[in-house]
Amino acid sequence: MRWASNSSRAAYSGRTRTHVDGHDMEPTWFDKRPVGEVRPGDHAWLAYGTPEERDRVIGAFVADALRTEEKVVYVTDAPPERLPGLTGPRTRLDLCTYTASGQLRVIPRSRACLDGGGRFDPQRMLETLNTEVERAFDEGFRAVRLTTDHSWLMREPGRPDLHRVLGCEHQVGDAVSPSTMAMAICQVDRRLCPPDQLAALRDTHEVLVEVNPEFDDGILRITRTFEPHGLRIEGELDAARHSVFAQQLSLVAHGRRRVHLDFSRLGFIDLGTLNLLAEHATGLDERDALVLDNLPPDVENVIEMVGWHRLPGLARGRSGAADGPFPGPEGVA
Amino acid sequence: MNDAFTHRVLSYRGMDEFLGAAVPFLSGGVAEGDHVVAVAKLANRTLLQEALGDAAEKVEFVDAVEWYDHPARRLADCLTDAERAQREGRRLRVLGDPGEWARRDPAEVVEWQRIEALSNVALRGTGAFVLCPYARSLPSGVVAAGRRTHPETVAGAANPSYVDPWEFSRRCDSGPLPEPPEDAEVMPIETPDLYWLRMYVGYHAKAWGMPEDDVQRLLVAVTEVMTNAVRHGKPPYELRMWVDGGDVVTEVTDGGRWADGASFGLLPPRPAGRFGLWAVRLLCSALQIRTGDDGSTVRLRLRLPAVPAVPVNTG
Repeated sequence: MRWASNSSRAAYSGRTRTHVDGHDMEPTWFDKRPVGEVRPGDHAWLAYGTPEERDRVIGAFVADALRTEEKVVYVTDAPPERLPGLTGPRTRLDLCTYTASGQLRVIPRSRACLDGGGRFDPQRMLETLNTEVERAFDEGFRAVRLTTDHSWLMREPGRPDLHRVLGCEHQVGDAVSPSTMAMAICQVDRRLCPPDQLAALRDTHEVLVEVNPEFDDGILRITRTFEPHGLRIEGELDAARHSVFAQQLSLVAHGRRRVHLDFSRLGFIDLGTLNLLAEHATGLDERDALVLDNLPPDVENVIEMVGWHRLPGLARGRSGAADGPFPGPEGVA
Repeated sequence: MNDAFTHRVLSYRGMDEFLGAAVPFLSGGVAEGDHVVAVAKLANRTLLQEALGDAAEKVEFVDAVEWYDHPARRLADCLTDAERAQREGRRLRVLGDPGEWARRDPAEVVEWQRIEALSNVALRGTGAFVLCPYARSLPSGVVAAGRRTHPETVAGAANPSYVDPWEFSRRCDSGPLPEPPEDAEVMPIETPDLYWLRMYVGYHAKAWGMPEDDVQRLLVAVTEVMTNAVRHGKPPYELRMWVDGGDVVTEVTDGGRWADGASFGLLPPRPAGRFGLWAVRLLCSALQIRTGDDGSTVRLRLRLPAVPAVPVNTG
């Protein structure tokens, strides 16, 4: 099998990520990465909580590939025009052109990974992926992006033994990880999967993938969160970035009741932002409060000095160090 | 209920005069169902308790050192307590003890006197009732200032020496600030992005031994002051830092002049109001502002933790 690119273009060289505070990622087993930074060799995991979350991650994963002449192999029974995140106003792509040219391969499960009896066949899945990667290589694509949604395995009657799925995942991981050409995202609907199985499946991946940030200028990063619904704010928030923050806040709050702001990686917040939050929260009733989660102690200290009672509509959410090896709601149940 | 703020001064000589005014003030509050607070040192507390008898149980005694900890925070908390009592249909009644701060560092004494004056504005409409007893044995300047900051005498008569609170506050800032030392760290500000400014301030503050929580407070305060300077002032903008006594001093200067009638963040914002400089006052140990045709200076002081004395080895 050939999992190395024969393209001369170095599309992914030097794309390493450091945190906004300048420190390297914590040395954990998992690397959490926005979908825009998934690169060859990544065997990534997406346990989505809402269709919107899946659409935004997978839609970007597929669309980025099609725009940059990388190949996409999608194992699903859905027709191309119903692939997640590709039909909305955000992404206007003529998918038929891509399927016709072979840049987008949508392979139904029966041909990719089911045996004659319609049961999941890990070996067949692996063979399919090998074949597709090989083909992409011969066709001259510089990279190939593989994805499939495993959720059906969770709800199917007589679903396969978890160990068979895990074994398959390990083999896919072993094939993708050393590759300079292939990258994969395995999707699962977390609501369909018992926590222990979710954790076991996740553990067969090295990369956790999430949506691309809404904003990132190296000092402030704003990322949508889906469970709970809200934004994660990383870095420093002051007057230079009030308008972008206010805009994102109003977008995420639109039509929703409760918004959570994850401040676990907030390095600095100025008084103007606290005013802005309080103004946003004015008029919200108590159960719609703006919830501030995981406030770093020194930031909370500042808010306490000003007085929570002067910030009506803001509620202190859950606390505690946020991102351990299992960030956010991904945490082991 | 009367919503007017009542602020009276008692100038007394000897304990009998003190008790003669303080005891009826407190017991009157208990009789009316007020939230009654007596700020007192231990000796006075004992005397007051004896004189009040059973009524003492309904008086909240607060240690004077604790009460007069931080001028801006005290005013803010007092307003919060007064408004809470008002919501409960009661009034807040406080017996102060200005003798506690009267002999502190002159710069701090000025800030307490300013609070005496501005409480007349900040607590307006809360129904609170405050009596401040000044012993004649206190420094004469302190006793004289006490007469200028209270609209009524102990008997409830109009005080002819009373000065408009904002005028009093302006006089507090009439003298120039001492010059920064020659070796102060200086950073000219050329970019509106204050990220680098915070790196710089945080670096020096930590190097001088400031704890993490205080560094964060300082960064929030400096960011607010610098944001104001860049937004409302004129270049050149400069930041200076040095250590003075046990304080880290951070100074922001610009070439602009503050508008007449600026409140300098001296009053707590009304409910749902924006807070800026006022919060800066809460975050720092002290905030000093001077403004004029030559430009404006804002100085933030944050106390460093006391270093335990190291015994000298005389071997």
